[in-house]
Amino acid sequence: MNLTLPSTREEAWRWSDLSGLPALAEAEPQGGVIDTSDLWIGDGPRLLFVDGRLDNALSEPGDLIVGSVAAQSGHPLGRLATGEGWTLDLASNVAASGLIEIVHVATGGANHVPGYIRLGEGAQASIVETFVGDGWTNRLTAIAIGPEARLMRAIRLMQDTGFGSIREESEILNGGSLVTTILGAGAAGTRIDAEILLAGHGAYAEFGGALLARGTQRHDAAVVVRHAAEGGTSRQIWRAVADDRATASLAARVEVARGAQKTDGEQSLRGLLLKRAATINLKPELEIFADDVKCAHGATVGELDARALFYLESRGVPPVEAKALLTRAFVADALERIGEEAVHDAFLRDADTWLGAAA
Amino acid sequence: MLRIEDLHAEVDGKPILKGLTLALNAGEIHAIMGPNGAGKSTLAYVLGGRPGYEVTGGAVTFNGEDLLAMEPHERAAAGLFLGFQYPVEIPGVSNVQFLRTALNAQRRQRGEEELSGAEFLKLARTQADALGLSMDMLKRPVNVGFSGGEKKRNEMVQMGIIDPKLAILDETDSGLDIDALRTVGEGINRIMRTPDKAVLLITHYQRLLDYVRPDFVHVLAAGRIVRSGGPELAHELEREGYGAIAA
Amino acid sequence: MTDVRNREAFEAAEEAAKYKWGFTSEIEQEFAPKGLNEDIVRFISAKKGEPEWMLEWRLKAYRLWQTMQSPDWAKLDVPPIDYQDAYYYAAPKAKPTLASLDELDPEIRRTYEKLGIPIEEQKVLAGVEGARKVAVDAVFDSVSVATTFREELKKAGVIFLSISEAIREYPDLVKKWLGKVVPTQDNYFAALNSAVFSDGTFVYVPEGVRCPMELSTYFRINAANTGQFERTLIVADKGSYVSYLEGCTAPQRDENQLHAAVVELVALDDAEIKYSTVQNWYPGDEQGRGGIYNFVTKRALCQGRNSKVSWTQVETGSAITWKYPSCVLAGENSVGEFYSVAVTNNRQQADTGTKMIHLGKGSRSTIVSKGISAGRSNNTYRGLVRVGPTAENVRNFTQCDSLLLGDQCGAHTVPYIEVKNPSATIEHEATTSKISDDQLFYAMARGLDQEQAVALIVNGFAKEVLQQLPMEFAVEAQKLLGISLEGSVG
Repeated sequence: MNLTLPSTREEAWRWSDLSGLPALAEAEPQGGVIDTSDLWIGDGPRLLFVDGRLDNALSEPGDLIVGSVAAQSGHPLGRLATGEGWTLDLASNVAASGLIEIVHVATGGANHVPGYIRLGEGAQASIVETFVGDGWTNRLTAIAIGPEARLMRAIRLMQDTGFGSIREESEILNGGSLVTTILGAGAAGTRIDAEILLAGHGAYAEFGGALLARGTQRHDAAVVVRHAAEGGTSRQIWRAVADDRATASLAARVEVARGAQKTDGEQSLRGLLLKRAATINLKPELEIFADDVKCAHGATVGELDARALFYLESRGVPPVEAKALLTRAFVADALERIGEEAVHDAFLRDADTWLGAAA
Repeated sequence: MLRIEDLHAEVDGKPILKGLTLALNAGEIHAIMGPNGAGKSTLAYVLGGRPGYEVTGGAVTFNGEDLLAMEPHERAAAGLFLGFQYPVEIPGVSNVQFLRTALNAQRRQRGEEELSGAEFLKLARTQADALGLSMDMLKRPVNVGFSGGEKKRNEMVQMGIIDPKLAILDETDSGLDIDALRTVGEGINRIMRTPDKAVLLITHYQRLLDYVRPDFVHVLAAGRIVRSGGPELAHELEREGYGAIAA
Repeated sequence: MTDVRNREAFEAAEEAAKYKWGFTSEIEQEFAPKGLNEDIVRFISAKKGEPEWMLEWRLKAYRLWQTMQSPDWAKLDVPPIDYQDAYYYAAPKAKPTLASLDELDPEIRRTYEKLGIPIEEQKVLAGVEGARKVAVDAVFDSVSVATTFREELKKAGVIFLSISEAIREYPDLVKKWLGKVVPTQDNYFAALNSAVFSDGTFVYVPEGVRCPMELSTYFRINAANTGQFERTLIVADKGSYVSYLEGCTAPQRDENQLHAAVVELVALDDAEIKYSTVQNWYPGDEQGRGGIYNFVTKRALCQGRNSKVSWTQVETGSAITWKYPSCVLAGENSVGEFYSVAVTNNRQQADTGTKMIHLGKGSRSTIVSKGISAGRSNNTYRGLVRVGPTAENVRNFTQCDSLLLGDQCGAHTVPYIEVKNPSATIEHEATTSKISDDQLFYAMARGLDQEQAVALIVNGFAKEVLQQLPMEFAVEAQKLLGISLEGSVG
């Protein structure tokens, strides 16, 4: 494969580390069986991709179609995800039959899978994706949300090694809604790229999550929310935790186009450093070309509040537990928006597992 | 129960406690009074083990054990409760979660069974009711959005749930109106006035002592106990001010 | 009495005009040919009678510059600049000579009046024929004050000279610090400035000295001639304090379209520098024709323990502003501050902000930026807060507010936060708002006209920054904000 990767001299990639990708692109998957039974949350439609190929035996496609996909991208990583993938195409006023789950297992090397979601007017769906295993997993998901349609997305990045890159390109029409929550609680490097276009009047978008990094891991998110029509609302709530020598970077941008009046855009980026050699990078960016808008952001970086820690300890909570409790409270905000309770609980458990191991 | 001998401590390299000696036995309530800057809060924090409060001399034993060698959470598990003058706000952590984690952590350290969710909630409800705090408030994040009085009552609810052997209450009366003062005073008596427990009340004013009658009153000035006496000493202080007595 | 005063004034003015102040001493009717090459650099250096090391320094910078690229990361639309189609050493007859103030562009005249600038001073600013003598006479107070000041500064041991003079008279001091804060290779415009800088200011405040006055007062007259490649170096030795004011509220016309100044500040242990700027270069007309390109590199090195540098800027002029006054907080417990109001109207573009580089333990910084966009302009705050791995207990607070007037302008916020030490406490907040119709109506119902109402509200918005300015500057700056936004609402 002819792999041309962006360099850190490019603004959008300044905090990235893609240096491991060429070697992974050359490597072959190791194969083998990975037990995915703990990864399924509900009993709706499900797809299992192993090294980018559908496992027919363990999949129950339901509303989903697997085959060639109508998704294309000019994004440096997203454009690599071509070929066979999955599609969810719901007609007007149709609700997907239950929670849709997609599990991606990788055993090394590189795999690229595109996805496409189209919701007709008033349609509804909720999709969870889980990434486990090794190697470079690269995804492109194109999303078209029709008027008054609602899509909930929850993504868990849980790979043990390698690299996970996801690219999302979404367009939301009048009154449509997209809520995406991402949890990075694995041990692999990640790059999360998203471009969300609020194209219709009164569109709603949330995009955020919790990125937990340890070791020499790097989490790197770059999200652009573009308000192109009036009356749109967007929220970007991110929490980043960096332990050991890890780096967590969040670049989140709100763009308000000329004429996109009455836009309400908010960003909250907060970083927590658990160790000396860890790094947090934040870039909350606003680009505003309309005057009647409400756009604000807050960003903070720091460590756990020493007074709160002592308060907890003075009540008998051992330091390790006190730290975990406060860290959990720190990240919980960002996972709050997962609507399905079972999904929310599963994500919190994964976060807890990470925090438990951090302790 | 608590023996403090010739305690010296400093904060940011500045000596605050300069040879403080004090002994509390089970069944006793002691009040420590003193002017601002005497070292009252420093004493509370040193006994609680707050980082940054450095002991430079002396010894403290709690039921015969070296208190100063213990971590803050070990002191709590050993039965010491520190009531904060300024209770800390912890966004994102509910009171219920906070207390259950704390109580069970203490029980584990003592080798006791952990309380189930239902048992804990029953206990919490009882204590909250007694102090006029609603369960709704207990479900909210620790002290976040609480008024000054609510924070202090919350401290008492925590004390009731944790049921310590020794309570060190730092200016628990500050910021309380007269009704809240009575509620808090009753709480201290109810929870702590038993033959096997002891209380060290740290206060600037005499008014809490109208509700919680101390057995002994000590005057702390410039880092040392300069006078000790019975409850009448508090009234004398109220009348004559610290100047005359500390001099 | 009047005669005596006038004669004294005359003499003082003659003195000043000769060389004592340096700023006017180099003015001769000579210029180098158009274009930029090594010979031009040599010419400039020779004209200034510079020592060999200075020429070498310039040549090195020039060679570097040739290998560099003009930066393109800012949210600015910069037309290509032909560096060969400009003069790099010219007598400052930048302004057309007018026979009287009546010939002056009425709009500029009106602005002068609004700012309350005395008639005679207006003549100097506008370049009216014969104004110099008269003006010096009329601004007798300034000159005599300047003379008195000079005595006072001398007594205090403060060195306050043009940089050209300093290079000759205090070569060791200049050599020690020039280019240490902003190295020649720092960026394209800094390299260009290093090669061809025309003149500028040098200040040295000795150990323990509190500079007895704001270094500013006489600037109005002299600033007219500072040229396009200004170079400023201020060194505050241990325990010293200096407040420096740069710029002018009156609109400045200049035929040199490109301005690329470099300002370097050094604060040693316990020293404090307060640097205030009011920038009101010609912004171009409503269609965006003309106007100054202002590419400035300003940086402070807080090298000493407890050192402090405070930047305050009111930026209303220039067609394009590219400017990030920064602090390298190397000293333990050093403090950096950045207070900024940037106004853009019509077709103006500003990309401005700061960098706070925290290297020292306990270093603290505060950033307050107020951006006001009107017309078809674009106004960007760009900032970096970086905390190095060994910098314990760093604190930063950043507040970045944008105000939009009208729906054809843009307001942008691009903050970077990079933290490598967990003991840091970093907080950043930003808001975007507009002047509400209710606010306008309320003010107008109380008797203000629309422009006064806008000026009032804008001044309220910018208050936190304006109050950082020295008193007399603050009053002018307030007026200036209103004037800059004229015609932007309604």
